[in-house]
Amino acid sequence: MLWLYLHFPHLLLDHIHRNQPSTGALAIVDGAGYTVVQACPNARDLGIEAGMRLKTALGLAPELSIMRTEARQEAWLLEDQARWLYRYAAHITLSPPDGIWAEVSSLQKLYGGLPSIWQTVEQALAERKLNAWVAIGHTPQAAQLLARAGKGECTADKHHILTSVGSLPLPAAGFDEKSCTRLQRLGLNTLAEVFALPPTELARRLSPELLAMVQKIQGTRPDPKAPWQPPHSFRQKADFIHEVEHTEGLLFSLQRILSELEEDLCWRQQDTDTLLLILQHRHQQATRLRIRTTGPEHRAEMFLKLIRLKLDQHPLSAPVTGLILAVKHFTGREAPLGRDLLGETEDLDEAWHTLISRLQARLGEQSLKRLAARADHRPECAWSASNPGKPGKPRPQASVTLPRRPLWLLKAPRPLAQPPETWHSGPERISGGWWDGQRVHRDYYIAQLPGGELAWVFRDVQGGWFIHGWFG
Amino acid sequence: MATGYAELFCFSNFTFLTGASHPHELAERALELGYNAIAITDACSVAGIPRAWAALKDSPVKLITGSWFELEDAHPGGAAPRFILLAQSRKGYGQLCQLITTGRRRAEKGQYQLFTRDIETQELDNCLCLWLPPASSAASYEQAEVCGEWLQRLFEQRLRIGATRTLEAGEEQQLARVRKLADQLKLAIAATGEVHMHARERQPLQDVLTALRHHSTVENAGHCLFQNGERYLRPLPVLQRLFPQAWLQETVNIANSCRFEPGSLRYEYPPDLVTKGETPAAYLKRLTRDGERRRYPGGTPMKVQALIRKELGLISELNYEHYFLTIHDIVAFARSRGILCQGRGSAANSAVCYCLGITEVNPAKVELLFERFISKDRDEPPDIDVDFEHQRREEVIQYIYQRYGRERAALAATVIRYRPRSAIRDVGKALGFDAALVEKLLDGIDWRDKATNWRQQILDKGLTRNPKVADQFFTLVNTILGFPRHLSQHVGGFVISAGPLAELVPVENAAMEGRTVIQWDKDDLESLGLMKVDVLALGMLTAIRKALALISEEKGQTFTIQDVPQEDSATYAMLQKGDSIGVFQVESRAQINMLPRLKPETYYDLVIEVAIVRPGPIQGDMVHPYLRRKHGLEAVDYPNDAVRQVLERTLGVPIFQEQVIKLAMVAAGFSAGEADKLRRAMAAWKSHGDLTPFRDKLISGMLERGHDPDFAERLYQQICGFGGYGFPESHAASFALLVYVSAWIKRHHPAAFYCALLNSQPMGFYSPSQLVQDAQRHQVTVLPPDVNHSAWEHTLQGKEKHLRLGLRIIQGLSSSGAERIHQNRPANGYQSAAELRARAGLNQRDMELLAGANAMPGFTSNRHQAYWQLLEHEEPAELFANETMADYTPEPCHLLPEPTEGQNVLADYSSQGLTLQRHPLALLREQGHLRYCLTADQLKATRPGIPVQVAGLVTGRQRPGTASGVTFVTLEDETGNINVVVWLDTARRQRKPLLTARLLHVKGIIEKEGDIVHIMAGKLSDLSHLINALPVSSRDFH
Repeated sequence: MLWLYLHFPHLLLDHIHRNQPSTGALAIVDGAGYTVVQACPNARDLGIEAGMRLKTALGLAPELSIMRTEARQEAWLLEDQARWLYRYAAHITLSPPDGIWAEVSSLQKLYGGLPSIWQTVEQALAERKLNAWVAIGHTPQAAQLLARAGKGECTADKHHILTSVGSLPLPAAGFDEKSCTRLQRLGLNTLAEVFALPPTELARRLSPELLAMVQKIQGTRPDPKAPWQPPHSFRQKADFIHEVEHTEGLLFSLQRILSELEEDLCWRQQDTDTLLLILQHRHQQATRLRIRTTGPEHRAEMFLKLIRLKLDQHPLSAPVTGLILAVKHFTGREAPLGRDLLGETEDLDEAWHTLISRLQARLGEQSLKRLAARADHRPECAWSASNPGKPGKPRPQASVTLPRRPLWLLKAPRPLAQPPETWHSGPERISGGWWDGQRVHRDYYIAQLPGGELAWVFRDVQGGWFIHGWFG
Repeated sequence: MATGYAELFCFSNFTFLTGASHPHELAERALELGYNAIAITDACSVAGIPRAWAALKDSPVKLITGSWFELEDAHPGGAAPRFILLAQSRKGYGQLCQLITTGRRRAEKGQYQLFTRDIETQELDNCLCLWLPPASSAASYEQAEVCGEWLQRLFEQRLRIGATRTLEAGEEQQLARVRKLADQLKLAIAATGEVHMHARERQPLQDVLTALRHHSTVENAGHCLFQNGERYLRPLPVLQRLFPQAWLQETVNIANSCRFEPGSLRYEYPPDLVTKGETPAAYLKRLTRDGERRRYPGGTPMKVQALIRKELGLISELNYEHYFLTIHDIVAFARSRGILCQGRGSAANSAVCYCLGITEVNPAKVELLFERFISKDRDEPPDIDVDFEHQRREEVIQYIYQRYGRERAALAATVIRYRPRSAIRDVGKALGFDAALVEKLLDGIDWRDKATNWRQQILDKGLTRNPKVADQFFTLVNTILGFPRHLSQHVGGFVISAGPLAELVPVENAAMEGRTVIQWDKDDLESLGLMKVDVLALGMLTAIRKALALISEEKGQTFTIQDVPQEDSATYAMLQKGDSIGVFQVESRAQINMLPRLKPETYYDLVIEVAIVRPGPIQGDMVHPYLRRKHGLEAVDYPNDAVRQVLERTLGVPIFQEQVIKLAMVAAGFSAGEADKLRRAMAAWKSHGDLTPFRDKLISGMLERGHDPDFAERLYQQICGFGGYGFPESHAASFALLVYVSAWIKRHHPAAFYCALLNSQPMGFYSPSQLVQDAQRHQVTVLPPDVNHSAWEHTLQGKEKHLRLGLRIIQGLSSSGAERIHQNRPANGYQSAAELRARAGLNQRDMELLAGANAMPGFTSNRHQAYWQLLEHEEPAELFANETMADYTPEPCHLLPEPTEGQNVLADYSSQGLTLQRHPLALLREQGHLRYCLTADQLKATRPGIPVQVAGLVTGRQRPGTASGVTFVTLEDETGNINVVVWLDTARRQRKPLLTARLLHVKGIIEKEGDIVHIMAGKLSDLSHLINALPVSSRDFH
């Protein structure tokens, strides 16, 4: 067997640079924002390393750009890489967080030799603007160690591979820390010196696990790898170092993601009719846009056209820090549209989806909204009309008894023309919203107007009287 | 006729993340609004009371002490009660404190837990209960009623219902419920404001605190925020519109029934110490006389006798005898256990303290200012700080707990407050700023720039482009600055009382296991006139005691501090050379540079030396004038006699904090009261004080009296420099004694000195490695750790007094294992690893550490081989299923490579943090890596002004606050230390080598001032890779 290993030294950085090329020093920090997770070559030149505290990093490079990452992000990215590699090799295995194995001995005939496999992979990496260190080994472990050390060569010669592995220094051997320290205390520096120890002694004095590890590297102990299966959905994310303020700025990365989607769909032999585009903002909730095609589709240019239209209709509400494109529903290319024979497998989710899209088709997309309560004391902010997404689970919130409010809240308060006949209750004072520039300070009353209507009126801080809603 | 009003429900910011005003703000606002009284009722706490009391002390507004409670459980069938307890008398106050203590001691630090049974069982008959009935959303009417009946059974006539009007939705129903409950239970209703802030303008801050409490942002906090900002101290006319007359009248009635005043708290010192039939005054007098005989065997000088008479008179007039007796008792305990201790601070101004053995500064030799210690006018309790040996202070603390019991002794609290960094971080979090962005902003800020500047710095960094948001942000940050965040324990301030302490002030848990703190800090104690005893820790005292023990052993007789010859010229000669590594207080780089310039010749020079390298004199630019005058380069003159009196001891240049304050009086015309205010402002300056109000008065006052404007401005700068780091003369005088003693030991008994220092680690500026190198440079032979020769501690061996490193130098080795090695050692030593393991009962980990440290030279050829043999012993781990025991038959011992010199050096560093073999720099130099570099020794003989190259291990990087933008780097090579000065521009261009290099190469210009050598850095290069190359490139590689 022969194994090819791809080691991605900074997947997160590549991912960001693909969406927004930049030249400055960039570092990825963990979710809490205190530790550097990855540093780009420019940043490394300035002395910044993974694992460093952000404080230290900024001491070294005050102009450093920083991006935060979620824990799952790296796993998603690795899956993305697995997806395209899967098209070239049938047996691949993930090595989270930053590597993938591909079994290549069976492919030699198909590609016409090892060098052309190597070349194919290098080319695919270049197209995707990815940095990866590639190595071939006669065992998965050997391939991995060589790739991580950046010592990979295009050779199938077992002896040559073992010599290269043997020259690796101990810390690069991937042993557990305790074993590594012990071996160093014995004065050993390279893997070859460990190989030279008698196996029984190694097991007895160090540990059987260590011997097993050494044997897996050498190939005298089997090391089976379970093949990876591709997932049944498509999801790609782009993050921006500099916030994007105009739609145009999104198209570059959208184009790339959509062509990857097209590739993915072609390979799956499937189509889709719904894309979900999520735009993330720094200080407010993400914008979720659903893009529906008129029928099953797989062409990137068609998707892009639709997204452009959609974005023209929905100007950006705030600068965008990242976007996600996801596809969950696939349709077979030839399969007829419609339900299955008995109609039982259609779940509620699907039914909701169908209802919404029918209503939207009939009434126009703009006319359909979903009403929801928001936790805000200001009446005009206490509800929201959002795009009908999934049948939402209401967000968990502290149980509050909702105060008495008119069912009909006016779009905007209007001046009270004549004094009310009777006052029913009040004042209820509402003051807040200083944080978003829409501060209110009002005293509300329920009052009967001379015309007999029961109105919700208020007096603002300047002493003006307004009607804000009607009670039934 | 309008009735008055008493606010009975106020959260101050001591209800953390809830109250949005300081206690004194609430108090002052109540005064402005003409309230009759105000109660500060923090959640299970009276921490805010002293500050409110200080604000209301002489005002017509009465301060009521109370606390708010929410119980963990409910009476069967009832709602969980929430209520306020108000202390009606001193006894009631004690009951309240006791209840708070019960709730706090039971819960984790910062929390409290109280149950219905606590209210049922604890005595609360002098407290009034103001019940806050639950809203209909929280409990049914029936549940509320059951709860009310339960409280009524407990408090009888002392129960009221609190009703509030915050104009929020649902208020009408709540008021209806309150009325109905009052009717049913026949209770009077009292109006409350449910106050969370003193003024409505604090609503944004209150929202921010609420959001933080809920780990949310203001925008997402939704209904957790209050609906409006009505929870403030409202003007009387507003209250009269909102509440019925009777409800307001009831608040005044309640206030009238609360007759407890915090000012009436009097401290009763434990009477335990005085024997029956003797008055405290007589006892103190007797102890002082005993002390006199000890201190002055030849008879007490007249001057001192007069001092003692005066002090004793004042002490007895102010009733401070018990305080002195208590401290004497603690110090006597320490003495009896051989624990070194020494008083410092203003107590060093007292002749009585000297005679009692509390302080060591001889009043016959130094001018004392007893008024600084105790003054009738100030009406403040004296403050005695006593330093104990760091390693044994815990024994003293345990003695205090044992002597007075945990009920009567506890540590004072330290209030941890918002500082700029934490304020920006938390406000940023609440406003939803990106956390990483805020960290980045914070990091780029130069905090030493004046306080007003960080706003601009943050804006420059691009926090926001919206000026409104920026304004909001900074207003919030500025307001939250100085807000308390939590209570922590004071470093050693003990409060000891005659009765149960919990009746004087609530006691709660500290973070440290087994420690308890009271709810007040030292300022609070001071404002209430309560006394505390400071039990502080000083590492140097440990080292001195250990060194004295070694010297005694050498001399064959007890040798104490008193036996150290005074004014020894050899000791001063050593200090004048700047040879002071390890010496107390004067071992820092700045001090080492100052010593050859100041050239101390007498004890008093040391007092000045200790005080002069401080922000105060440096910012006041007083250092150079003093040095010029000391060396006769400038005439010593005084503008008038009054100034001469103040400055004569320091040659007309103000050095000490009290001189500066005195100058404000004699040169700028400050009254005694104003001077005292200035002193307080200086002490508080670091946290929240403001000195600018004093500037104009100081400068105009000095100009009026004909002083030089430049001198006046410098004096003001010096005052600012003292702020927060005040260094009074008495303090310096106590420290200078220890400087002299430690320097004398270093000069005359170097082996004992380094041995004691190493045994007292961690302490001081220098690592064991640096101390060992300094010892070697002082002709002390240092021997490696060895299982056949070392104890746990470092020891002096043989007639030659060689310093044998102890096993404690081996990082990670268990002390119990090391003890057993020492105790079970056969007469002729261990002969094999197996014997060592068996006799000392060592585990595998300790054995491996010993092998790694090469501590078995007697029976192993080298550390690699020793280690290999050890590993054999370990039981093989469980076999894999498909293997048999036959796979594990042992083979003959495998031969491993002999360690190279480089490998040995690195292994020494990794196991002990130091090496006794050649310095790594010597190896690298031999290998030709440092061809053009001069050693520290060679630099001494090099002409200043020429370009040089140096290299060394980086042992220190420092950016002192007093030197603008300069970084000092200390490099170590095989001959000593090299001081490198990196200017800001150079540093900016070469951050990477400057901040990350372990081995640094510097091209620069050599500069000299006297014996002090500096390299002004030009090009920096990181040579750290050479360290890793050490083992393989060594010449004797096999």
